[in-house]
Amino acid sequence: MSFWDKVEGIDRRWIYLMVGLMVLIPFIFPAKFPISITPEAQSLFDAVEAVPDGSTVMVVFDYYPSTIAECEPMAVAAFHHFFRKNCKIITLSNIPLGGPSMAEMVSRSMAEQYGKEYGIDFVNLGYKYGYVAVLSGMGVSIESIFPADNSGTPLSELPLMDSIVNYEQVAFIWEIADNATADYWASIVNAQYGVPMVCGATAVMAPKFYAFVAAGQFLGLLGGMKGAAEYELLLGETAAATVGMGAQSLVHLLIIGLVILGNLGFFLGRRYREKKR
Amino acid sequence: MTAVEILQIWIIAFFTLALFSFMYKDNPVYKVAEHIFAGLTAGYQVGLIWDTIILQQVWDPMIGGKYYLIIPGILGCLMFTRFSSRFSWVSRVSLAFVMGVTSGIFLISQLHGLVLPQMRDTMIPLVDGGGFGASLLAVIVVVGVLSTLIYFYFSKEHTGALGVTAKVGIWFIMIAFGAHFGYTVMGRVSLLIGRMQFLVEDWVGSFAHIF
Repeated sequence: MSFWDKVEGIDRRWIYLMVGLMVLIPFIFPAKFPISITPEAQSLFDAVEAVPDGSTVMVVFDYYPSTIAECEPMAVAAFHHFFRKNCKIITLSNIPLGGPSMAEMVSRSMAEQYGKEYGIDFVNLGYKYGYVAVLSGMGVSIESIFPADNSGTPLSELPLMDSIVNYEQVAFIWEIADNATADYWASIVNAQYGVPMVCGATAVMAPKFYAFVAAGQFLGLLGGMKGAAEYELLLGETAAATVGMGAQSLVHLLIIGLVILGNLGFFLGRRYREKKR
Repeated sequence: MTAVEILQIWIIAFFTLALFSFMYKDNPVYKVAEHIFAGLTAGYQVGLIWDTIILQQVWDPMIGGKYYLIIPGILGCLMFTRFSSRFSWVSRVSLAFVMGVTSGIFLISQLHGLVLPQMRDTMIPLVDGGGFGASLLAVIVVVGVLSTLIYFYFSKEHTGALGVTAKVGIWFIMIAFGAHFGYTVMGRVSLLIGRMQFLVEDWVGSFAHIF
C-alpha cells in the first residue's frame, strides 16, 4: 500500500480530531488573523447609521439555538448600535424553539449595559405561529397579532407600543435568520410595506441573500460568523465573533490543506495503481 | 454564579459531549441524548401550539366576544377526520381552504416580492458610468442568468448553440455550488466554535466555582 493509498483511506476520526484541536487551540493561545470588511457589511453599517436617532426599529430573532454562535453576535452588535443611537427596539421571533427566550436574554443583558428600561426603550413581542399571516397582519395592526408581549403583558400597558400601530411607525428592520423566513421579510414586509431592511444570516444562507442586496431588497448583509466579526470591527467592539474568527481561519487552512491532500491522494494513488498494473 | 446556573451549564455540557461522542462511534450515551432531545422538542412544540394558537388565537378571543373564530376552529378540527377512513373526505374542506388562501398569498408575495425585483435587477444597463468593472459584472450577471435558464430548458435537445450555452450554464451552477459549499463549511465550523467557546469559557470556567 502506497503513501497515497493510506492518505485516501485515513480514518475520518483523525480528521475530526485535527479539526477539534484547530478549534480548541486558539481559545488557549489566541490567534489573530486580519478581518477585511466586505461592501455588504459596510452597507449594513451605513444603513443603520442613517436611521434617525431615537427611531423605533425591529430586531427579529429568526434563528434556532443551534446557530447561536453565528447569529447571537449579530444580535448583540445590532443592540449596541441601536442603543448607542437611542433607538427604541421591538424584538420578535418567528421561530418557536428558542427565538423568544434568546431575544429576552440578549435584550435584557444589553439593556442593563446601556441603562435602558423594558417597556419604554425595548419590548419583546415573543413568538407567534404562522409567519406569513404574522408578517402580513402586522402591516395592518401589530396589536392584532401580538395582543400581549412575551411575558403576557398587554401591549396597551407598554409605553413604547402607545405610538406603534403597524410598520408605518417602524423606521428600520434588522432580520437575523438561519432559515427561509428572511425571504418572507423581504417579499412581504419590504416589498409590500417598503420598510428599509437589512439581514444577518448564517453562512449557509448568506449566498442566497447576496442577490437580495444587489436588488436593493436588503440594504446590507452579514454572512455568518465572519459577517458578525466585521460588524464588531466596525462598531469597535471585540466580542465573540472576533474571538471565534481565529479558530475559523485555522480550520479553513486545515480544510484547504486536506482538500489538496485528498485530491493529490486520489490522482497520484490512481497513477501508482496504474503503473503497478 | 448560582448553583442553578452551574447545574444548567453542566447539563448543557453533558448533552454537548454526549452528542459529540457519536464522532468516535455510535454509543448508548449518544442515543440517550438524541432521544431526550427528540422528546423535549415534540413536547415543547405541543405546548407552544396549544398556548400560542389554540388559546391565544382561537379560544381567548372567542370567549372575549369574537364568535366568528369558531369557523376557523371548526375547520381546524375537521383536519382530524383524516384519522378515519370513513370520514377522511371531510378534511378536504379545510385543505381546500388552506390551499386557496396559501396560493393567493404566496402568488402575490413571491411575484411582487421576489420574482419581479430579481428580474428587474437582471435588466441593468451594461454601461452605467460605473467603469469597466461594473460593466463586466453586469455582463457576467446577464450571461449567467440566461445560460442557467437555458440549462433548465428541456423541451429541445441540448445540441449546437443550445448545448454550448447550457454548458456555460453548468459552469455558473458549479461555481454557485462551490460558493455555497464554502459558506456551508464556514457555517458548520462556526457551530463547532460556538460549542467549544461554551465548553472552554462556561463549563471549564464553572470548575472554579465548584472546586
